Formats: sequence, structure tokens, C-alpha cells
Amino acid sequence: MTVALVLADSAVVTLALPDILRELDTSVGQVAWVLISFNLVLALGAVPAARLLARGWAAGSSAVGIALFAGASAWCAVAGSIDVLIAARCLQAVGGALAVVGCLELLVRLYDERRGVAVWATAGVVGTATGPFAGGLMTELISWQSIFVVQVPFAVLAVPAALVVRDAVPVGVETGRGEGSGSEAPGRPGPGPVRPERPDVRPNITLALLSAALTAALFLLVLLLVEGWSRSPGVAALTVSVVPIAAIAAGPLARLLQPSEEVEVAVGCFLIAGGLVGLAIPPSSDLAWTIAPQALVGLGLGLTVDRLTARAVQLRRPRAEHAGWTIGARHAGVVVGLAVLTPVFTADLQDAQVPAQEAITALVLDAPLQPEDKISVAQALGGALAGEQGQVPDLGPAFDRVEVEPTERAAVERLERDLDDQLERAATRAFRDSFLAGAGFALLALLVVVLPGRRRTT
Amino acid sequence: MSSALRSATLPLVSLVLVAAVLLTQLLNGGGTYEPLRPPDACTERPVTSRADGIDGLTERLVLLGVADAACTLGVSREALTLELAQSAEVYDVEVEALRDGLLSAVRRMDDDGTLPPASELVDEALDQAELNGILEFAIRALPDGVIDAALKTDDVLTRTVEELDVRSLLGNLDNPADLDRQVEAAITEAVKDSLLDRLRNLV
Repeated sequence: MTVALVLADSAVVTLALPDILRELDTSVGQVAWVLISFNLVLALGAVPAARLLARGWAAGSSAVGIALFAGASAWCAVAGSIDVLIAARCLQAVGGALAVVGCLELLVRLYDERRGVAVWATAGVVGTATGPFAGGLMTELISWQSIFVVQVPFAVLAVPAALVVRDAVPVGVETGRGEGSGSEAPGRPGPGPVRPERPDVRPNITLALLSAALTAALFLLVLLLVEGWSRSPGVAALTVSVVPIAAIAAGPLARLLQPSEEVEVAVGCFLIAGGLVGLAIPPSSDLAWTIAPQALVGLGLGLTVDRLTARAVQLRRPRAEHAGWTIGARHAGVVVGLAVLTPVFTADLQDAQVPAQEAITALVLDAPLQPEDKISVAQALGGALAGEQGQVPDLGPAFDRVEVEPTERAAVERLERDLDDQLERAATRAFRDSFLAGAGFALLALLVVVLPGRRRTT
Repeated sequence: MSSALRSATLPLVSLVLVAAVLLTQLLNGGGTYEPLRPPDACTERPVTSRADGIDGLTERLVLLGVADAACTLGVSREALTLELAQSAEVYDVEVEALRDGLLSAVRRMDDDGTLPPASELVDEALDQAELNGILEFAIRALPDGVIDAALKTDDVLTRTVEELDVRSLLGNLDNPADLDRQVEAAITEAVKDSLLDRLRNLV
């Protein structure tokens, strides 16, 4: 639960960003740092946190981490300015880093190496996939602050749970392979001090690239739904719930077809790329058109992330440090994804303004309205379009101000629908390149998987 | 299940799934869900108006005139409309293109027979004009044939366009009252000139 909670925080606030933007009176650039700061600190802090934990310098690191995460979550909820919120998010990530790598050790102690890593990896996938859904629902039903408030009791309850496990077995991860696992690999040395192994680069790079691709799927899709297609955060949350559902369905599919690990991961990358291309070319703004592409992304997510994580972590020592590398790779991927995709779609959104304005002008000029009503509509729209530079404007208030004869009302309402359709078309077009860039990240990940690797000699 | 078949099944399933999703999207218009592209301003398109009388005539003339000007300037009608509405500065080339466009619109409407005879517009014009009651009564009493013989719509409109200070008109787009005043003055002057010319020709 703690792992899912921390990793869900990576994208949990995505759907709350417009509300945070308004309430904390900040800019789009600054509000993006609510996401970036958490992922950046988690990416940079995961390995040092794991080293701290492994060397036993901080007794009860995981419990402290969870407590820190809980406290920082509460601080996020009461943040009165964007600077405070970003600082609290950084602290949350520091606590989260300690908690996540600590939880891996606790899970291995509770189960065994194989199952503990599998549960830890699966919890991460569930958290990543459900984050936007849960955050959107909380924002719609209560407020953006509730996203953070609700995390506090869960995290607080996890502190004594972590301490109980720690009391039973001291955290000493610098022991031999298979320690506590009962599943030693054949030919591997038994318990005893071992030299730290280098991180497995290939699965970590694949994880980073896939995380960048998934950022497009989760972050950009919710932005498109809320900002581009004017859907409420709740509706957007329900829509993106397809991803976690499909991710869960990937398990039975893999068990049924029993592919090799490489094939499973390669197929997952391909499905994510295909899903992102599908999201780039919806035939309309009907939410139904996002379902099948999202299902592909979800299936891909379910086939790849936990497999890659397990491969990078399992039977490697120090285990916590390798777990730190996977967390670092994943969240560095999210940061890279945000850093690459955000400017692309922001610039495309800016570029979309001219064609959108021309389309709107064409519809107003040719509208079946009296000339004076066209002038009233044009004047109202002029204000709405001028005031929303760089964002998709809401034409509703402008049309509310237009006064026309009752006989013209139906034509004005039809014009408003047509203009909204043009804005949705422009927004969809503006997001296309970013989704395709996301698909490019997934294809790069596929390339990393299928390229023949250097054989290790011992 | 053999190892080879097992290895091939999931990739095949994924290929089928991705192809099915993308083909469905494309066959239903995926990739073309974009904002309406304004047509080439030089392409003739039908221009209609919901309004009757002078308002309808003015709207059709302006739409045709702007399209013609946009064609001359090599931009879309919509781009020119936005430029004129949003830009603080109006360039000479735009003013000239607009004037020529409006004149061309008058000729086009005259050619295709969509210009109404002057008699159809007189009553509405008199309603809007502040004329001496006796003069107004006298004009209303004139038979349509006399009015149409005295005033040719295309001639009045051409003179109106030539009379108009297009630059100043564009500067007043946000002020409908000033706009009306300017247009009304130009029309009055055009009617007067047209009548005087007619009288000169009679003499």
C-alpha cells in the first residue's frame, strides 16, 4: 500500500493542476513543478536512500521515510502558495524514496525474495496506473487538498506496520544472495558478505523510456480531456481508469500465453507505442475513442514495468540499492517525459491558436444569423479569445453575454456547439505530436529490449 | 504449446490488437480531426444573408468584398478579417484591396442580378433618414419606375464605396454608431451625386 501510495503521487495531482493553478494564483510553468519536483527528487533520492538503508546508518529508515511522507502530505494539503507546495512535494519525495526502498526489504522479509519483489513491483504499477484516476476523483468530489489529506492516515498506519517487521528481522541487506528468500539461484553463492553488483542497465533504461512514454499517456491524456475537451476531472478520472484495469488484465493474458520475459517486455513496449499512436489520432472528441488506445497502453504497462523492475532487482545485491536504481530510472523517465513533452504540446497549443481562430471566424461569418447578432457574437468572442492566450478558451461565458432575439437563440446555440467543436479539434491536433513523441519513447524502449546485448563473462 | 508457438502468440495478438485499433481510428476519420481549414479566398463561394433590405445587401457586399480583398492579398478571408479586427495598424495595401474588393463585389452582384432595384430600398432608407416630412412623403409617392430610372443601385453603391474613408471606417469597427454615421454620410453623398449626374445628363 505504501509503495502504491508513494508511486501514485508521481501523477496523482495531474488532474488537480488546473484547480491548483487557479487557487494558488500561479502560472502554468510553476504549477508543472508540482509534478516535476516530486519526480525529480524521487529520481535523485532513491539510490542514496537505498544506500542509507543498506548501511544501517538510519535505524528505522523506512518508518522514518513513511512518517516523513505522511507529514509532507499534510503540509501539501495546507500549502497556501505554490512555493510552499513545491517545497512540501520535495520533502514528500525524500520520505517517499526512503519508504519505497525500505518497503522492498520489508516485503522480502514477509514473503520471500521472488514474491516480495513481485509484490513490490506490482504495487508500483498499480500506484502509477491508478494515480491520475484517484487524484481526479478526489479533486472532483472534494478538492485538490483532499488528495494529500487522504494519504496521511494510510501512511501513518504504515509506520507501526513497518516497525513491527523491522523488529522481527534487522535490516541488513548486505548479506548473501537469497538471504531470507529461500530461493537461491543455482550456482550463486550462499549467505555471506558480497560485493555490490552494478545496476542492470538495460531494464533500467527501458524503464526510464517507458516511464517517459507513460507520462504522455497519463499526464497528456488527462490534460487533453480536462483542458482540451472540457471534461470534468471526475469524468477524466473515470475515463483514464481504463489504463489500470487493462494493466491488471495483462497478468492473466501473460499467464495464458506464457511468453518468454523478453517477448513479454517487447510486446508491452509495442502495445504502449500503438496505444499512444491511437491517442494521437482520435476521430473525434468522443471519450469512447480513447478507450481502446488506453487499453493497449494499460496492457503494455502490465506486461512491462513489473517484469523489468523484477529483473533489475531480483537476486541483485544490495537489493535496496537496485530497487533505488529502478525507482530513479522510472522517475527520471517521468521528468524527461515532462521536460520533452510539455514544451512540445505548449508550443503546439500556441500554434493551434491561428487555425482555431480562423475556423471560428469562418463559422461566425457564415452563421445563419442577423448581421447585428454576428457582430455581437464576434465582439464577445474577441474578448474570450484575447484573454486566454496559450490555453484553450471557454466560450460559454462569452455566449452567455450575447443578447439575441428568441428566434435567433437556436442558431446561436448551434454556433456555440460548432465553435466548441473547432476548439476541441484544435486542442486534439495540438496534442498529436506529444502523443507521437511518447510513442517514440516506447519504440526506443522496444529497441533497447530487442537489440542484442553484450554477454557478461565471469 | 510448443516454445516457438508460445513465443509467437503474444506478438501476433499484440500486432492484431494494435492494427485493429489504429485501422478503426483511421477508417473513422482519425488523423483528420483538425480545425476547419478556411477555403481559398479566390474560390467563389455562395454568400447569403439572413437579413433583408439594406442590412442584407450590406452584409453580402462586405463578405464578397473582404473575400476579394483577401484573394488580392493572398490570404484567407478569415485571416484578413482577424487581421483587420485585431491589428492596431491598417496598411495602405489593405485599404486599397478592400476598396477594390467592395467595388468588385458591386460589379459581381450587378452581373449576377442580385442587386435589388433602388425602389426596393427607398422605404427602408427613408425610415432611417431624418428628412423633412413633406419631402419624405413626396419621395414615397414616387412610382417605383421613376425611382429606378433616377437611381441605379450599382451606381449609388459604386459612388458610396469610392466616397468611403475605408481607413477611418476600419478604425471605427468597435464603434457601431460612428460606423453608421460614416456609411450614412457616404450613401447620402452618393445618392446626391448620382441624382445630379442624372440631371446633368438630362439637360
